Amino acid sequence: MARFNIRPYIFIAPALIYLGIWIFYPILNALVLSFFDSPTGRSRDYFWVGIENYIKLLQDDLFLKSLYHNIIWVLLSIALPVVLGLLLAVLLSGRGRTRLVYASIFFIPHTVAAVCAAIVWRWIYDPSIGPLNWLLETIGLAGRPWLADESIVLIAVNMIGSWSYYGFCVLIFMAGLQNISPELYDAAKIDGAGALQQFFYVTIPLLRNAITFVLVYTIIGSMKFFDLIFVATNGGPNEASTVVGLRIYWHSMREGRFNYAATMSTILTVVILVLSVAVIRQIVTEDEED
Amino acid sequence: MTVKDRSRKRRSYNSSRMMKSAIIHAILLLFVFIALFPIYLMFNAALKTSAELFQSFLSLPKDPQFKNFAFILNEQGYKGALYNSMILSTSSMILTTVVSVLAGYGFAVYRFVGKQWLFLLVLTGLMVSETSVLIPVYQLLQDLGLLNTYAGMILPQAALGMTFGVFLMTTFFKDIPRALIDAAVVDGGSDMQVLRHVIMPLARPAIMSLALIEFMWAWNSFFFPLVIATKQWLMPMSVRIIDFMGRFTFKYDMIAATTVILFTPILILYLITQRSFHRGITFGALKD
Repeated sequence: MARFNIRPYIFIAPALIYLGIWIFYPILNALVLSFFDSPTGRSRDYFWVGIENYIKLLQDDLFLKSLYHNIIWVLLSIALPVVLGLLLAVLLSGRGRTRLVYASIFFIPHTVAAVCAAIVWRWIYDPSIGPLNWLLETIGLAGRPWLADESIVLIAVNMIGSWSYYGFCVLIFMAGLQNISPELYDAAKIDGAGALQQFFYVTIPLLRNAITFVLVYTIIGSMKFFDLIFVATNGGPNEASTVVGLRIYWHSMREGRFNYAATMSTILTVVILVLSVAVIRQIVTEDEED
Repeated sequence: MTVKDRSRKRRSYNSSRMMKSAIIHAILLLFVFIALFPIYLMFNAALKTSAELFQSFLSLPKDPQFKNFAFILNEQGYKGALYNSMILSTSSMILTTVVSVLAGYGFAVYRFVGKQWLFLLVLTGLMVSETSVLIPVYQLLQDLGLLNTYAGMILPQAALGMTFGVFLMTTFFKDIPRALIDAAVVDGGSDMQVLRHVIMPLARPAIMSLALIEFMWAWNSFFFPLVIATKQWLMPMSVRIIDFMGRFTFKYDMIAATTVILFTPILILYLITQRSFHRGITFGALKD
């Protein structure tokens, strides 16, 4: 191998130092903070409490509920925008230039700030003047107070997230489909495969990378959700739509319980890490190939 | 099979094909509607008076109230918020892009000890969210005296996009034919010359993609600014909207006008540069 060369390190140093200060050091710091507590609010006279914060956390029903909501959010996001994105991408794959027009339109909601999306959808869901209930009542169904009903609020808020997310999924899958050679479909047709069989035996396996990417992206995005829920419901009613991000914000910025909030942050990081590690590994093995 | 049979068969084949294509079109149009309807609602509400809005959310405005925007920007002092958003997004875009291009060059062009591990470290950073690092970042800013300053808002925001930036630039630069770089090096080109005369011209679209995406993220960002900029004069538009909602919960027209002011710059940017956006968004997913 070549002799030691300092130059690549000079190029990557700014990024690593920067990320070190603002990402990696904070993560470790949150871990450290989680083993301490402070006597009052925001004071920094920390004292060691071991795993006491973690024990408290496991008995904190609200935290467990919020973590559960995050997991539900992941599942809903996979069930709806991801699957929908895949289907729409397949529907689009046959057409030429109009494909791009459709994909561009589907993607527009993704450029809307979560804050704006939440505001607009609050109107759509509004029980008295909102268009959704108006539409349902017009076709003879009962309207609901979507964001005030504990049993459906999480799904209702997730719909907002799905609205801004499906176009993103379409784009990724469409790009993935372009890489599949048409000959494979011809071969499958000759072997007598119907449309469904082609989808499951040709499309899905060959989209593996795109699917993995979207899944990991969805997991990460779902676990760190904050903006949308903060503006749409602020976790309500009766904490029925609360998520871990909201709990962290509440305990730290409102109550000043920094160590307790840092414990939540640490658990959140670990959960995301565990859930996505398989795919990260895959990206890295690809990297090692060259 | 007679000629007649064959033509009948083709006709039924055609009609079932047309049926299928009609269904596909209907589905696609439904999702076009779903994508655009809330945006129509946003613009529509912004152009109506409150009274007209309460009569109907859906109908087009009879007398478009463009003065809603002027009122928000001038009399409500939201011009400053727009300016703050601009500072936040532009600085964070420039910072992220420059640092990511440099790191991408280092990772893509050189082989060096620890490369895999350092790149893996950057990738793990992709999984970190604002909420995971909130408390230490907040305390760090406090210690540095940067709470409620532009720098305090920009520095951590840029970090959030940087892991993505380094990843994107590295994958893009790896696609540049090795021979071009080697030729430049043989000709005695320094790193900076290779970067400027070989990489940059070829990767300009990629860098453009990254810059656009970073700009959009920072423009739409909410969590860090909410926590770090608690003084009204410093709040970017995304945070000031919440402030507005708190004060005038039922002034739908005003709130709508504020959301339109926040959204329009990004919409225009996206419509002009769609391809760039799409390239940046899809590239990472496609590498195999």
